[in-house]
Amino acid sequence: MIRIEQLKVGYHSALLSFPSIELKQGEMYALVGRNGIGKSTFLKTITGQLAPIEGIVFMNSRNIATIPFNALPRFVSYVNARFPLVDFLSVHSFIALGRSPYTNLLGKLNSDDLDIISSVIKQLNITHLKDRFTSELSDGERQLVAIAKAVVQQTDIIVLDEPTAFLDYANKEEVLNQLTSIAKAMNKCVIVATHDIDLVVNKGIQFLLIDETLKTGNIYDTTTTKVDILATCFKSMHV
Amino acid sequence: MHQTKKHSVFIIVLLLALPFVAGVHLIVGQIDIDFSDYWNALFNFDGTNSYDIIAREIRIPRMTMAILTGASLSIAGLLMQTLFNNPLAGPYVLGINSGASLFVAFSIMTGIPFFTSTLGITANALIGAFVFGLIILFFSRFLRAQISLLLVGLMLGSFTSALVSIAQTVSQADELKVYTLWALGSLQKVEFQHLMPILGVFMVGIVLTFFVAKSLNILVIGEENAKLLGVNIKRARLFIIALTALFTGLITAFCGPIAFVGLAVPNLVRMILKTQSHVTLIISSALVGAIFILLCDICIQLIEPHFLIPINIFTSLIGAPFVVFIILKKLR
Repeated sequence: MIRIEQLKVGYHSALLSFPSIELKQGEMYALVGRNGIGKSTFLKTITGQLAPIEGIVFMNSRNIATIPFNALPRFVSYVNARFPLVDFLSVHSFIALGRSPYTNLLGKLNSDDLDIISSVIKQLNITHLKDRFTSELSDGERQLVAIAKAVVQQTDIIVLDEPTAFLDYANKEEVLNQLTSIAKAMNKCVIVATHDIDLVVNKGIQFLLIDETLKTGNIYDTTTTKVDILATCFKSMHV
Repeated sequence: MHQTKKHSVFIIVLLLALPFVAGVHLIVGQIDIDFSDYWNALFNFDGTNSYDIIAREIRIPRMTMAILTGASLSIAGLLMQTLFNNPLAGPYVLGINSGASLFVAFSIMTGIPFFTSTLGITANALIGAFVFGLIILFFSRFLRAQISLLLVGLMLGSFTSALVSIAQTVSQADELKVYTLWALGSLQKVEFQHLMPILGVFMVGIVLTFFVAKSLNILVIGEENAKLLGVNIKRARLFIIALTALFTGLITAFCGPIAFVGLAVPNLVRMILKTQSHVTLIISSALVGAIFILLCDICIQLIEPHFLIPINIFTSLIGAPFVVFIILKKLR
């Protein structure tokens, strides 16, 4: 669970501000806003990669600023927009890196780690990929593999920065459906930055919309329509 | 997990091959020395028996240094390739040896007796390697293209050799002689009494390397992603550079600059094993590197009666074409 209190995010000066809101377990949130408005900055702030300009982020009721950075990967997993293509790194080994916050100094995987990895691989239907090299994956496969790595990290919160950006229609659906079911079935708080509005409305997904003119973000419930989103995030387009 | 099994078989084969190749290395020299002489040289040394002396003061140090050189430089290359995420990184091409050479040259030229002793040269080589490691680390922060880092390393090497040349022109004859002898580089200059300390430092380096294996495994997916998995990037970078300097400085101090082994061997091992598990890569690179230098030195000994090729020239002959192959394969 993430609770933010009067948050202002940005690098040197505040780009965006948020009222006090709570992002709950078992819910998926679609973060929608214009290009360059500060979505990534917000995601970096709530995952502890960037200090807030003002306000506090609580992660499972702990102030994120008090969590040491090497403990952070047990609270939140973050899926980058850029997926690393590495020669000779198998999908299984890549996903296994998600267990590294829990392994010992030498990074040895125990049988629990291996069980978690194989059950997540099964759950995401990517068993056929596990012996392939990460450098040989298609864009759609890459995202599923990156999500698998985030899930084996066993964090309450999963944050993804535009995971559907380069995917075809079917893969966008697949990725978003998988994320929704992860949030519901595994009781996780999943936050996804996306521009695929049509694919997230009426899917039981909550919204975090960034108001284009006010530069503020707020939560909107699952009944939010495309018109609502356009009216908030893309005001200049409408009028 | 048939992959892990394949790796174990590979390592076992190498472990069996190493003593065999080392044995061959011991007996290919021009003077016939059999294994009983080696036994005596180690455990029953007779300072008046010339066979014992050749075995103890020439053959055993040369064989040991061949193994340590191959293993050390290969591990150093592996560490740098993963740290810089660059298949063309290595202690020689990135000028880590140059750092060691520069510090040794300047310190010898000062004429202070301590600096011309074995301990003084070793200490300076280690410090020089570390300082140049830090310089490369600094430049790597500003470079995007993999090839750029290589060019910076090359320039660092040229700049350093210019400085060394200047130092040579103004130095005294005695000091110049000490430096020139050192800079020629060879596996044959190490005395028996120095082997244990060298071996000790090497072992410490190996043990510490296993402690960075986990960080290396994660660094493969890039520093940004590694940070998200809790890796302390700044500390890992410094630690890895220090280890690289330890391995490179140690070998450069005793054997001079030796080219391309550190670059070629880890690439070869990665291509054969097709893995990014660094425990496997560290062990395999060390063993392949050791066997490679032993084989090079066996060839050198076989042609020695006809003409003499320094080890550095020999590794360049084999290594340089292999580096071109890697460029063609990976950086087209």
